[in-house]
Amino acid sequence: MPRYGFVIDLKRCYGCYTCQVACKAANHTPQGIDWARCVPAETGSFPVALRQMVPLICQQCADPECLKVCPTGATTQDENGVVQVDPDLCMGCKYCIMACPYGARQTVDEWKTYFPDADGDLDPYEAYAKAQWEEKNGYGIATKCDFCADRVKEGRQPACVEACPAKARYFGDLDDPESEVSILIRRERGFQLNPEFGTDPSCYYLPPR
Amino acid sequence: MLPNLKAQSKWSWLVAAYLFLAGLGAGAYVTGVVASYLGDGWIGISKIGVCLGFPCVLVGCMFLLADLGAPLNFWRAAMRPNTSWIARGTIIITIFMVLAFIHVAFWLWPFQGLAEAVGARQFIGILGVIFAFGTMIYTGILLAASRPIAFWSTSMLPLLFLVSALSTGIMAVILLASFAGTTHAGPIHSLARFDSLVIILEMFVLGFFLQGTHRVPEARASANLVLSGAVAPLFWWGVAVLGLIVPLLLDLLGARLEGGGAITVAFVASLCGILGGLFLRQVVLSGGIHAPLRAGRFEIALPNI
Amino acid sequence: MIAQPTNIKEDKWVPTSCGGCYAQCGIRAHVVDGIVVDLEGNPDTPAGSGRICAKGTAQLMTLYDRHRLNYPVKRTNPQKGVGVDPKWQRITWEEALDTIVEKFKNMKDPRGTYFQATTVQTSEIRFAVIAFMRAWGFRNYWVSGGGLWCGNGAHFMNGIMHAAWSIIPDWTYNNYTIYFGCSKGHGAGHAALQSAQWVADARARGMKAVVFDPFLSTQASKAHEWVPIRVGTDGAVALGMLNVILNEIGKWDDRYLKLKTNAPYLIQPDGHYKRDGATNKPLIWDPEDGRAKTFDDKSIKDYALLGSYQVDGTEVHPGFQLLKDHVKKNYPLDKVEKISSVPESTLRRIATEFVEHAQIGSTIMIDGHELPLRPSAAIFFRGSQGHVNSGWNCLEIDLLNHVVGAADVPGGSMGHGPPVSHGHPDTGKPNTVPYTCPDGLMVVKGWVYDHKPYPLREPGPPQRLDLQDMFPCSVYNAFTICTPEWEQYMKDFKIDYRPEIMINFGSNSVMTMANAEEVTENFLKKFNFIFSFNIYQNEFTEAVADIVLPDTCFLQRYTPCVPFPSTCCHPPGMDHWVWQIRQPVTEPLYERRDFNEMMLEIAKRLGIQEKYYDAINNIIPVRYGGEMAPEYQLDPKGDHDWQDIVDRVLKDRLGPEKGLEALKKTGLEKWPTKVQEMYWRWFTPVRVPIYFEFFLEAGEKLQKLLASYGREDMADFRFYTPLAEWFPCPSHEEKNPEFDLWAFSWRPSFHTQSSTQNNPWLDEVSVNDPFVYLIQINASTGKKKGLKDHDIIWVENPDGRKIKGPVKLVEGMHHEQLGIAGCHGHWARGTPISKGKGQFFDDLINPDLKHTDSLTQGSDACVKVKIYKA
Ligand SMILES: Nc1nc2c(c(=O)[nH]1)N[C@H]1C(S)=C(S)[C@@H](COP(=O)(O)OP(=O)(O)OC[C@H]3O[C@@H](n4cnc5c(=O)[nH]c(N)nc54)[C@H](O)[C@@H]3O)O[C@H]1N2
Ligand SMILES: Nc1nc2c(c(=O)[nH]1)N[C@H]1C(S)=C(S)[C@@H](COP(=O)(O)OP(=O)(O)OC[C@H]3O[C@@H](n4cnc5c(=O)[nH]c(N)nc54)[C@H](O)[C@@H]3O)O[C@H]1N2
Ligand code: SF4
Ligand code: SF4
Ligand code: SF4
Ligand code: SF4
Ligand code: SF4
Ligand SMILES: [Mo]
Repeated sequence: MPRYGFVIDLKRCYGCYTCQVACKAANHTPQGIDWARCVPAETGSFPVALRQMVPLICQQCADPECLKVCPTGATTQDENGVVQVDPDLCMGCKYCIMACPYGARQTVDEWKTYFPDADGDLDPYEAYAKAQWEEKNGYGIATKCDFCADRVKEGRQPACVEACPAKARYFGDLDDPESEVSILIRRERGFQLNPEFGTDPSCYYLPPR
Repeated sequence: MLPNLKAQSKWSWLVAAYLFLAGLGAGAYVTGVVASYLGDGWIGISKIGVCLGFPCVLVGCMFLLADLGAPLNFWRAAMRPNTSWIARGTIIITIFMVLAFIHVAFWLWPFQGLAEAVGARQFIGILGVIFAFGTMIYTGILLAASRPIAFWSTSMLPLLFLVSALSTGIMAVILLASFAGTTHAGPIHSLARFDSLVIILEMFVLGFFLQGTHRVPEARASANLVLSGAVAPLFWWGVAVLGLIVPLLLDLLGARLEGGGAITVAFVASLCGILGGLFLRQVVLSGGIHAPLRAGRFEIALPNI
Repeated sequence: MIAQPTNIKEDKWVPTSCGGCYAQCGIRAHVVDGIVVDLEGNPDTPAGSGRICAKGTAQLMTLYDRHRLNYPVKRTNPQKGVGVDPKWQRITWEEALDTIVEKFKNMKDPRGTYFQATTVQTSEIRFAVIAFMRAWGFRNYWVSGGGLWCGNGAHFMNGIMHAAWSIIPDWTYNNYTIYFGCSKGHGAGHAALQSAQWVADARARGMKAVVFDPFLSTQASKAHEWVPIRVGTDGAVALGMLNVILNEIGKWDDRYLKLKTNAPYLIQPDGHYKRDGATNKPLIWDPEDGRAKTFDDKSIKDYALLGSYQVDGTEVHPGFQLLKDHVKKNYPLDKVEKISSVPESTLRRIATEFVEHAQIGSTIMIDGHELPLRPSAAIFFRGSQGHVNSGWNCLEIDLLNHVVGAADVPGGSMGHGPPVSHGHPDTGKPNTVPYTCPDGLMVVKGWVYDHKPYPLREPGPPQRLDLQDMFPCSVYNAFTICTPEWEQYMKDFKIDYRPEIMINFGSNSVMTMANAEEVTENFLKKFNFIFSFNIYQNEFTEAVADIVLPDTCFLQRYTPCVPFPSTCCHPPGMDHWVWQIRQPVTEPLYERRDFNEMMLEIAKRLGIQEKYYDAINNIIPVRYGGEMAPEYQLDPKGDHDWQDIVDRVLKDRLGPEKGLEALKKTGLEKWPTKVQEMYWRWFTPVRVPIYFEFFLEAGEKLQKLLASYGREDMADFRFYTPLAEWFPCPSHEEKNPEFDLWAFSWRPSFHTQSSTQNNPWLDEVSVNDPFVYLIQINASTGKKKGLKDHDIIWVENPDGRKIKGPVKLVEGMHHEQLGIAGCHGHWARGTPISKGKGQFFDDLINPDLKHTDSLTQGSDACVKVKIYKA
C-alpha cells in the first residue's frame, strides 16, 4: 500500500491562492471553510526583507495528534496513511482542532449563502454544492483536507495539485523511493513543518530558495 | 515581522463552564466526604457537599453537550480511552457521577433503608473521592494534552485546576451552608479558614503556571494576552481580584468576626471565589494560542483556529 | 468513487476559454445536469497548460451571482454623477433595443458615437466593436484605463522593437531577468499560467531575477534580488546601466547591432539620417572600404558603429556612437542614484551581471538551426510605463536587450504575440511576418489598434473627439477629453460634431482611468445617451448609463478565436500554436444575452448589416493574417447570425473540417510551433531603431501642426528626441515637503482590475490576505509617523484629492513610498460584496496634460502624497 504524500515547493510557489480556491471548488466547501490555506509570511527588515507564501493543508501525519485525541473514533487513518474523519461518528467536540499543530481542521455550523441579500433560495450551483457537502461532510463536525480521496481513487490528482499554476504542488507515494515526491524530498532537502510535534507529517516542503 | 498569533476561539465559554462546574462539583463532593469524618457538627455540611457533586457535574456536562457540534453522537465520547483524554475523562466523570448519585441516594427515599449501611457509604465515599480527584485533575490534563498550545501543555495546569476545583468546591459548600443562617457557623468558619490556605496555594500555583510561559513564543504570546492583552481585564479583575484577593481578604476578615457578620462575609467571599473559578477557566481557554509554524526563516500563525 | 446521486442524467466536461482576465487560458467546465459545478484547466491546451488560477476557478461564482445584471434596465433619475442613484427600472429587451435604435436614428451625426470597451474581453473587441464602428461610421474608440495605464508606452514601443504587444523572457533558456515594474510569470501580466510554470522551472534551474519595484511584490519576493526603486524612474536606471555597459564595460553584441538595428546608420549634425542622394536611403560607414554606403548595399564588408566620418562634407556619426556618448554625458551613475534612490554600486553590479549573463557570442542549436544564445532579459510593463515618460521608459529598458542582442533569440526577451506565424499547416493562415519600411526598419504585420506603432502616424487634422489621431505616437489619451478646456479644443481644432451616443462594453472607466469626478463630469457627461453592456451594475453604469444591458459572461458566449496572435495571451516558445474558441457551457440564466449577438442585432435593426458584414470580411485578414476565402466571406446581402460568423471564421482559418461543430467538441486546434516563428529575429530581415530618428521628424511635424492651430501648448516637444531621455513626473518635482511619499498601485494575482472584487470567493481570500485591502507603507516610516497596523489614514495628493483606509506596516516597502492594490474601494449599489472594501487608488490620479506623456500620451499613475490619521 502506498503512503500518500505531498510536496509543496516553496521556491516555486508565488502565493496566488489558486490551491485555496480550487480546493473550495472541487470539494464544495461552505463559506469560511478552506482545506487548503495560503498564509503569507514576511521576515527580515527593509531593504533586505523577504516574503513567502506558506500553503497549508492537512499534513496527513503518520502519527497524528488529531487521531490520538479523538474520543469517538471518528478520526481514522486509512491504509494509505490518509487521515479521515467519519462524519457519522464525529460528535463535534473540537478536541482535534485544539490538538492539531497544523490548523488543518475546521467546523462549520450551517450552510450560509455567499450571496447574502439574495431572496433565500440558493442558486443552482450553491444548491448542488450544499447537497454535496451534506452528503460527504456535514455541520458541527470536524472537516479537513483528505488528499482528495475521491479524485485519487478515480486515478486523478488532487484538485489543488492539478490547478497550481506554478506546479509547486506534488502528490505521490512516499514509500516508493523512486516516486517524484520521494526524489524531490531527497534531492531538494525537503522538510516537514515543526517536526518537534513528532507527528511525522506526510506533507513535505521544499526550501524557499 | 513576527506573525500575529491569535488565540483559539473554537472552545468557547460553554467549555469553560463545563470545566468549571465539573471541578466545582467534584471539589464540593470531596469537601462533603471529608466533612463526614469531622464529627457530628459537620453532618449538614457533609450532606451539602456530597449532594452538590452530582448535579454540578451533570449541569457541567450539559454545557459540554451544548458545545458539541453533533450532540447526538455524544454517547460515542468514550470510544477511545486508550489515547483520548476526553474519552478517559468521560469514563472518569461517568463513574464519578454514578458514585455521587449513589452516595446521595443513601439519604433518599426509597433507599433510605440503606442509610444505616455506614460501611457501604464510606466505601462509596472513598471511591467517589478518588474519582472526584480524577475529575478535578482531568479537566486540566484534557487541555494539557493539546501539545501545540504551550500555554496549556504544562503539568502546572492540572494542578491549577485541581486547587481551583477544591477551592471553588469548598466555597460552593460555604455558599449553600450560609443560607441556613448561623446553623453551620462553626464549620463555615473552619472551612473559610481552610479555604484561605487553599487560595494562597492557588496563588502560588497560578504564579508558577504563568512563570512557565517564558519558554516558547506562543506561550509568551498567551501570557501577554492574559496579562496585558485583550484577556487582561478578565484576568486581573475577574481572576486575580475577584477570584483570589477579595475572597482571601474576606476570609481573613471573617476569621476576626463572629456570628451573622462572619457568615455574610463568608458568603460574599465564596460568591466571589466561585465566579473567579469560572473566570479562571475562561482565561485559560481564551489564552490558548497555537504554536507558529516555521518554514525556513518564515514563521506563520495558524489561520482559522 | 465519488458518491453521486443516482438520478444524474448528464455529466460532461465542456472545453472553452477563460475570460477571467485577458490571459484567456483554455479551461473546461464540469457540467452536471446543466449546472456548472467546477471549472478546471484544460490539459490539452498550451494556453494555460491545463492549469487555472484563483480568478478563473472563482468565475463559477460570477456565473451564478444573482447580484449580476439579469434584466435590461433604464435610468429613471435624470440626474447623473458619481454616487447618484440611477433609480433603475426594469425594461424588456424589445424596449431597450427600440430605444437604442431610435437614438441612433435621431443622431445629428454618426461620428458623435463613441465605443468604450474593457481590456479584459479582448477577443470581443475585435469583432463586434470594430465592425460596428466601421458600419456606423465613427472613429471614437477607447479601452478604458487600458492604453493609459498599460497600452500607450508598452504596446507602442514593443510594437516598434519586437513587432509585438509585449515582451517576456524566454524562460526556457534565460538565466538572468531584470524586471522593471511588471509581474510576468507571477500572477498578473500575460500568458499568465504558462509563464508562472516556466518561470518556476527557470527558478528551479537557477535563473536569477532582479526586480526593480517600489515594494516587495510577488515577483520581487520570488526574485534573487529585490531592488527598491522610486516610482517612475526606471528609464533613468536603464540609461545609467546602458552607460555602464557601453562606457565602463564596453561590451555589446556587435553583430546584432550592425545587422539587426540602425546603430550603424550615419547621423548628421541636425540629428537626421545622412541619406543617399540617389535612393534617399540611410547611409552607413563601411570601414573596410572607407566609404559610406546605403544600409542595404550588398557590397558592405563591415559597418562602423563608432567614430566620426565625413560624408559629402558633413561630419556624421553612427547612431550608436551618439547613444554611447549621450548616456556617458547625461546619465552618470551618481545622477541616476539621486533620481532613482538605487545605489550607484548596485546599478553597476546589475549592469555587469546583465552583460555577463548575456554570453555575447554564444550560440545554441535548436531543431537544426544554429541561433545566438543570449540568456539575459530586461522586461517591463504597467509599473514602469504608467508615467509621464511612459514611452521612453519602455524603450530605454528594451535598449538593454538590444545592445546585447537578446531580442527574440533563445534566452532573451521575446515578443508576444508572438509576432511571427506561418499559419496552420492546412491553410497557411493566420500568416503574420513583419516586413521592412524603406529605411530598413521593422513594420509589424497584424496589429490591434487602427494605426500601427511604426511607421508613425502623420500628424494631421484630428477627426476624433479626443484629438488623439493627430498625435503621431498616441494610442489613447485622457487629458483632452477629460479637461474642462475641451470645448475650446473643439473650437480650436475645428471639430464640427458633438459627442452624442456612447456604447460601453464592459469598461468601468469611472474607476479605472483617473479620479472619478473628472472622468465623469468632464468626459462621460458629454454624452446625451449611454448604453452599456455589463455583467454587473458597476460604478460606470450607475454614474452615467441610461440603459444597461445584461451581458452573458464569457462562459455563455461564442468567440471564434481566443489567444491568437496580436494579443499578448499566446505563450511564445517551442510548444504549440493554439487556436481556441469560447462556447456557452450552459444556457444563459435570466435574460442575459450575448453582447456579440446584440450588437449584430442592433446593426440589423439600423439596416447597416451589409457594412457590418463587410467590415468583418476586412477585419479578419488584417487581425488574423491572410485573405478570407471567398466561400467563407460573409455575404453582404445575406443574413448571418453570430454562430454562422464564428463558423465561417473557423473554417476559413483552420480548414473546412474545423468549423464550429468540430471545435465545440475539442475547444481548440493546435499545431507545432517552428523555430523560424518563435526565434524569428534572425530569420526575418528587419532592423529596429536604437537611434529614434523618426521621432525628430514627427515632433517637428506635430509642432508645425499644433502651431497652425495656435495650440503648441499641447505637447512638450523635448520628448520628440532621437536619443533616449528620461523626463521626471510631476511627482518628482513636488516641492512641498509635506508631500513626502510616492503612492503607486499594483495588481494582486487574484483580482482582475475592478472586475472581480464582488466575487465572493475572491473577496473571502482578500479579506484574509494581510495586504490587498490595506494600504502598505514601510514599517519604520509608519512608526516615525506614529502609525500602527490598521490605523485609518488619509492619503492626500497635492490637489487635495484624498482617499481613506487602514494602513499596514510592512518591511517589504520602499521607505518613501506607499502601495495600494488594484482598483478596489467600490461604491456601486449593484455590487454589495465589494462595496467599501479596499481603496480606490485612481481617485488620486489626474487626467490632465501635466500628467500625460507628450510622446505616447500615456497617463501618469504615480502621485506624491501626504498621509495623516483620520
Ligand atoms: N488603481 C489602478 N487602476 C488601474 C490599473 C491599476 O493597476 N491600478 N490598471 C489599469 C489598466 S492596465 C487597465 S487595462 C484598466 C482596465 O480597466 P477596465 O477595462 O475598466 O477593466 P475592469 O476594471 O476589469 O472593468 C471591466 C468591467 O467589465 C465587466 N465585465 C466582465 N466580464 C464581462 C463580460 O463578459 N461582458 C461585459 N459586457 N462586461 C464584462 C466587469 O463587470 C467590469 O465592470 O484599469 C486601469 N486602472
Ligand atoms: N491577475 C491579474 N492579471 C492581469 C490583470 C489583472 O488585473 N489581474 N490585468 C491585465 C492587464 S490589463 C495588464 S495591463 C497587465 C499588467 O500587469 P503588470 O505589468 O504586472 O501590472 P502591475 O501589477 O499593475 O504592475 C507591476 C508592478 O509594477 C510596480 N510598479 C508600480 N510603479 C512602478 C514604477 O514606477 N517602477 C517600477 N519599477 N515598478 C512599479 C508595482 O508595484 C507592481 O509590482 O496584467 C494583465 N493581467
Ligand atoms: S496554487 Fe501553487 S503557487 Fe499558488 S499559492 Fe498554491 S501552492 Fe502556491
Ligand atoms: S495535520 Fe492535523 S489534522 Fe492532519 S493528520 Fe496531522 S494532526 Fe491530524
Ligand atoms: S471533533 Fe470529531 S473528529 Fe474531532 S476529536 Fe471530536 S469527535 Fe473526533
Ligand atoms: S488535496 Fe484536495 S482536499 Fe486537500 S487541499 Fe488539495 S484540493 Fe483540498
Ligand atoms: S490567468 Fe486569467 S484567463 Fe487564465 S485562468 Fe486565470 S483568470 Fe482565467
Ligand atoms: Mo492593462
